Amino acid sequence: MRLSSILGRGSWGLYRIFITLIILFPFFFIILLSFKSMLDIYINPLSLNPDWAPENFKEAWGGPPGGTGFSVYSKNSAIVVLVALPISGAVGAVAAYFTTLLSPSLRKKFMAIPLLATMLPSIVLLLPFFQIFNALGVLSNPAALGLLYAGLCLPVTILVLHAFFLEFPRELLEAAALDGLGIYRTFSKIVVRLSFAPLLAITLLNIIWVWGETQIGLVLLQAPGSQTIPVGILTFSNALKANPGPIFAGLTLATIPLALIYLVFHRVINRGITMGGVIR
Amino acid sequence: MSLAPVLLACLPAILLLAATFFLPIISTLRLSFSEWPGVGEVKWVGLKKYSELVVNPDFHSSIKVTIIFSILSTIGVMVTALLMGLAASRKRRSDEPLRAIWFLPAIAPATAMAVFWTISVQPEIGIVTQLLGKIGLGKDSAWLAEPSTALYVVIAVSIWASASFPFLLIVGAIDRIDPEVLEAAKVDGAGEWQQNRFFILPLIQPVLVMVTVLQFIWSFNGFSLIWAMTRGGPVDSTSVLSIFQYKQAFMFGDFGTASAVGVLGTIFLLTLGMLSLRLAKSRSAIQ
Repeated sequence: MRLSSILGRGSWGLYRIFITLIILFPFFFIILLSFKSMLDIYINPLSLNPDWAPENFKEAWGGPPGGTGFSVYSKNSAIVVLVALPISGAVGAVAAYFTTLLSPSLRKKFMAIPLLATMLPSIVLLLPFFQIFNALGVLSNPAALGLLYAGLCLPVTILVLHAFFLEFPRELLEAAALDGLGIYRTFSKIVVRLSFAPLLAITLLNIIWVWGETQIGLVLLQAPGSQTIPVGILTFSNALKANPGPIFAGLTLATIPLALIYLVFHRVINRGITMGGVIR
Repeated sequence: MSLAPVLLACLPAILLLAATFFLPIISTLRLSFSEWPGVGEVKWVGLKKYSELVVNPDFHSSIKVTIIFSILSTIGVMVTALLMGLAASRKRRSDEPLRAIWFLPAIAPATAMAVFWTISVQPEIGIVTQLLGKIGLGKDSAWLAEPSTALYVVIAVSIWASASFPFLLIVGAIDRIDPEVLEAAKVDGAGEWQQNRFFILPLIQPVLVMVTVLQFIWSFNGFSLIWAMTRGGPVDSTSVLSIFQYKQAFMFGDFGTASAVGVLGTIFLLTLGMLSLRLAKSRSAIQ
């Protein structure tokens, strides 16, 4: 059997190394090139010995003369995250928990709603979003976008947390009921306090989604001073076409902190993804 | 448990879901029968926008580009993700860190990665162009500026960026296989290839089918990566439907046409999704 010799033990090892290199390739070069001067990037992009140009980061953070930089984009991304996450987390956790108390057939019917919502392409939602934001005069307002993102995060938040809450030990709930705790107090006093890991998982999943969302942000945040990191990257790299150093510095700021957060919490996050079934 | 207190607790979620998803859908449907340039009043025009689409050559070319992009990207993603899934389920201690690293492309913002790859395939200064030059593939080539090659560059980058998510779902499915099944297969003398072919693949087939359908839908709707790399160019060679729609609405001020495309796309994807899931169900019932 020739295939088994091709796909045998030794070649799995080689394949694992090969895939790892391809995956890490952009991350490695984004960091490396962010420390190179313009001249070095043009003459020697592949050399592994940068000529150290930390001013790339200064320009990425402050922006090109007369433009906006990552200090502004990070602030806007922070506003969006801080508005979106608590709302979707609180509203979603309540709905995810109380639906677990329903009979199985009713529960499935309720859960079809968020499932259906995850399947709608964002472009068909985007046009009315623009219409409404325009009518309310909140275009280029990161806090308003945060509120919208809270709604967009909600289906996945409900699906993931619902899967976790289904496994919540019934004995604890029964004991609480015997102690005379109502269903709302049981939720706030017992369930929430014992669900740190799932709540952390969904918070991180939502941060990752909000941090990268581009299509809706691109339309609703048109003023450069209001843009979030993924939208700002496009404005920024267009403005600095001839000088890639600061662009790479900006890409480093946009990806590396998030990648580190993921690597620290990858167990919790991956469990959230596989438990919630299919999300995005 | 009675329904009333549950409904009360779910009320905020129901209202928020309605405002974010279900009212906008109705609104898009209405816009698709209207003339609206982005400001002013919305004028009802009936089926005009749909009948205009039938004879719009840019729409036809967008359909073609979208089909090429989503089919090739889905095939590439699923083959890569399956191989990655098998390679990261070897019961070695390195499986876990490997899975974490291999998921990084799904974490990084798509536009950041798109900007990186776009600069990398530029002639002369691009590091990918330079590496390709070293193996004799023209380092002066402007892969992304050439209408004949741009789409394939975008497809390659989309495979790099999109394989990680299905990979994780496939790994989850492989992990759920009862280890005794594979143990028994090994005892019966099944080699590695036979284990994969006759045990792992059939056991994860339902997940594979579902993920393939979803990946096709995601590719079909893909926007950010392509927009960040090419804006649909050169000469519309990478203008998929989502970019065609975006340009209709936000560059040409024709929200009616953009909505009509959205409605047609949603109907197509929902039909496709339902049909393939039903097919998968009946097939697994026969087996």
